[in-house]
Amino acid sequence: MALKALDIYKLLPRKNCKECGDPTCLTFAMKLAGGKADISLCPYLDEEAKSVLGATTRPPIRLVKLGIGEHSFAVGEEFVLYRHEKTFYHPPGIMFRVPDTMPPYEISGVTARVRDEFFTRVGADLRFNGIAIENASGSAEIFARAVGTVEKIADLPLVLVTADPAALSAALALCGTYRPLIHAATPENRTEFCALAKQHDCPLVVKGKTIDELAQLTRDCTSDGVQDLILDLFPASLRDFMIRSTTIRQLAITRAAPDLGYPVLLDASLMELPDAAITLGITKYASVIISAPLSPASAKAALTLRQNIYTDPQKPIQMNPGLYRIGNPGKDAPVLMTVNFSLTFFTLQGYLESTRLPCFMLIVDTEGLSVLTAVAAGKLSETLVNDSIKKFALEDEVSHRILIIPGYASPLSGRIEDLTGWKVLVGPRDAAEIGEFLHEEWKK
Amino acid sequence: MGFDLNFGWSGSIACVQLGATKSEGGTRRISYRIGGEKTLPFLEKIQGSSSPLITLEICDNPQYWSPIVTNYCGDMVHNSGEWAHAAETVYGADMVRLYLTSTRKRDFSDIASVGTTIETVLSGTGLPLIIEGSNEPKIDSEVFLKCGEAGQGERMLLGTAEAGRYRSIAAAAMAYDHSVIAQSPIDVNLAKQLNILLKEIGVSRDHIIIDPYTGSLGYGFEYSYSAMERIRFSALKGDADLAMPIICSAIDSLTVKEVRESEPAILDDIAVQWEFTTGLAAAIAGAEIICVRHPRTIPLLRKAFGSLTPGKIAGGEG
Ligand code: B12
Ligand code: SF4
Repeated sequence: MALKALDIYKLLPRKNCKECGDPTCLTFAMKLAGGKADISLCPYLDEEAKSVLGATTRPPIRLVKLGIGEHSFAVGEEFVLYRHEKTFYHPPGIMFRVPDTMPPYEISGVTARVRDEFFTRVGADLRFNGIAIENASGSAEIFARAVGTVEKIADLPLVLVTADPAALSAALALCGTYRPLIHAATPENRTEFCALAKQHDCPLVVKGKTIDELAQLTRDCTSDGVQDLILDLFPASLRDFMIRSTTIRQLAITRAAPDLGYPVLLDASLMELPDAAITLGITKYASVIISAPLSPASAKAALTLRQNIYTDPQKPIQMNPGLYRIGNPGKDAPVLMTVNFSLTFFTLQGYLESTRLPCFMLIVDTEGLSVLTAVAAGKLSETLVNDSIKKFALEDEVSHRILIIPGYASPLSGRIEDLTGWKVLVGPRDAAEIGEFLHEEWKK
Repeated sequence: MGFDLNFGWSGSIACVQLGATKSEGGTRRISYRIGGEKTLPFLEKIQGSSSPLITLEICDNPQYWSPIVTNYCGDMVHNSGEWAHAAETVYGADMVRLYLTSTRKRDFSDIASVGTTIETVLSGTGLPLIIEGSNEPKIDSEVFLKCGEAGQGERMLLGTAEAGRYRSIAAAAMAYDHSVIAQSPIDVNLAKQLNILLKEIGVSRDHIIIDPYTGSLGYGFEYSYSAMERIRFSALKGDADLAMPIICSAIDSLTVKEVRESEPAILDDIAVQWEFTTGLAAAIAGAEIICVRHPRTIPLLRKAFGSLTPGKIAGGEG
């Protein structure tokens, strides 16, 4: 069971020496209680404290890092079953699978796609995360050659999918220093796989058909000295994954089964319904998802879902309120008012950029609410607009006094005119029509 | 060692009957009883536990409908009876949801036509119906009463009651023994409040379906997903005022930027993926009626639910 901050504090040396990076032992204890710090940061713990704290203060699900450098990512360190109880922290990495029997130019193509492709939503570039190379040929030499082909194109995180220690060893000789994820240790090959994982300091997947088998494997691997583990549940159906992934998450976060406190991997490319498997994996606790290269439609839907599920709904992504410029607007350029919800901002900005008409965006602080939501909640008011005009010195920036407001804010137009003295032009409801609107209404 | 899931829930979701067969006093080929769950979605251990119902949304004035759908379905969209028939026989839906978009015309007053349309749809399909009434408070009362009357005995689901606007729909539902969709904007407490209001005027628990409002993928789904989970969670913890089945209809899916601005060659694909991903994730969060507009989404959801449910593929046939 998790300890409270005060219980932890009693076990600390209480020197307040700051060496852990925290100002006091108490603040360090609070971090430990939240699973946000590691006990090894305090050099003065006695053995007893170490053994008591070690088991209960490390995050219930271990943080595991894949790859190195710019594209690397970490998974695990999750604390809840339901997102609304806190939030989900580490979005799953989605890795495209290539069999080593694929012609090299195709392997290069998939790798370059993962390296280059991104899809911008709400100001974030959404990307796939790496390549899973599968030893379909059964040959160590061909496997290593495929790894070499991928390595030549990009330094992406890799998953090495093989059951054969010889193939794994040949691949690790090429990429072992870049922290590839090894997939997968089973009871048959565990000893060799653990030795290789340890030698190259790589994270290791353990694969088992039952939860008991997985727990046994993680115990064996940790006693062999490999700590960075990931669980492949090897599900037979979506239902099977649903049940086992939920069970493991629940047992892990309640610390009822520390041997299961590791991130989960789902190979959607082996499932009968890969798109459904990806949706299930994103929502139900997968941390690494292997998938065949996705069609453009599936790719966008999957990346958007991942962004949604890993956005904290209690904190909408917000923009700083202020005056933003599109192009190089002059004193006579139009001013468009909107809210500081980032989805709204980026949607409007996108359409404004494509009109190629320089203009100003006046972003007012609705605490991250969209236009319609802010109007409904009474968060968008004439006072807010008036204060924003003053605060961001809009009257010094433009020579006219015309403010374009969103169509959904039309109920406020009279009151804004009265309070600010500006003339209000009610724009369209749908930002997609803004170009047409500006060309017709502004030029007049 | 025996690792098992045990949440210790105390509540369960109320059962709601949708549609009525001949022996139940209606004319439907099939009827469903949804609800009854005692744990999280798709974790039920019982063989044959029901899978979410897939509903095709259609309308009686396609001028208000997405061109993606009207192009795909072709001429049938001008005949609600034919469209409903195809929903059952060609597209394989479990239910049909008819939006009376004809009532959205300015100064609409032809109330009798509402009855005729519903009769046409009832004879076009043997599936249970959801009827989405007017959008205009002034004509609500007449429209809903007409809907109720035209579907008497059929155990329809009437939509949509909201906090400021639930009396006339509730009255029609109670008069003719239909159920009601109770919609609130993405908030558990508001959902609960509305259910209590409905209860106070006499709508019983087993005649309510919660619509927590589905923001579509990328446009509010992050909120809707949690709202659905929280409703289910509260229900299982024992809050009877939230223990009703949930309906999901992401009506904006076909108009979001990613769909609308996609290349024509993949327009249908992306529309379908958007509906599919939203619908499946909503079912995982707790929705039991999933509404879609693109017919191609139906078989995808059907297969996914099949792989998530033990034993049976179709909905919980009564
Ligand atoms: C997600 C969501 C929420 C989230 C908050 C999201 C957020 N950060 O704002 C949550 C769950 C918190 C929420 C809460 C509420 N919500 Co809400 N919510 C939504 C939902 C589903 C999507 C909103 C969204 O993200 N839209 C996308 C953005 C991009 O839209 P937008 O900001 O309006 O921008 C568009 C246009 O306005 C235009 N535009 C923007 N800026 C500009 C500028 C110019 C110059 C021009 C020309 C155009 C333009 O371009 C954009 C794209 O076209 C909508 C339904 C919907 N379809 O809108 C309901 C909705 C807006 N919510 C509603 C309500 C009632 C509420 C609450 C008041 C409920 C309550 N009583 O508590 C609360 C209020 C919040 C509070 N008190 O804190 C109602 C509003 C009803 C109405 N018509 O007035 C809606 C319509 C749902 C419904 N049908 O019931 N909501
Ligand atoms: S390093 Fe240890 S003793 Fe020093 S302040 Fe931190 S917790 Fe206290």
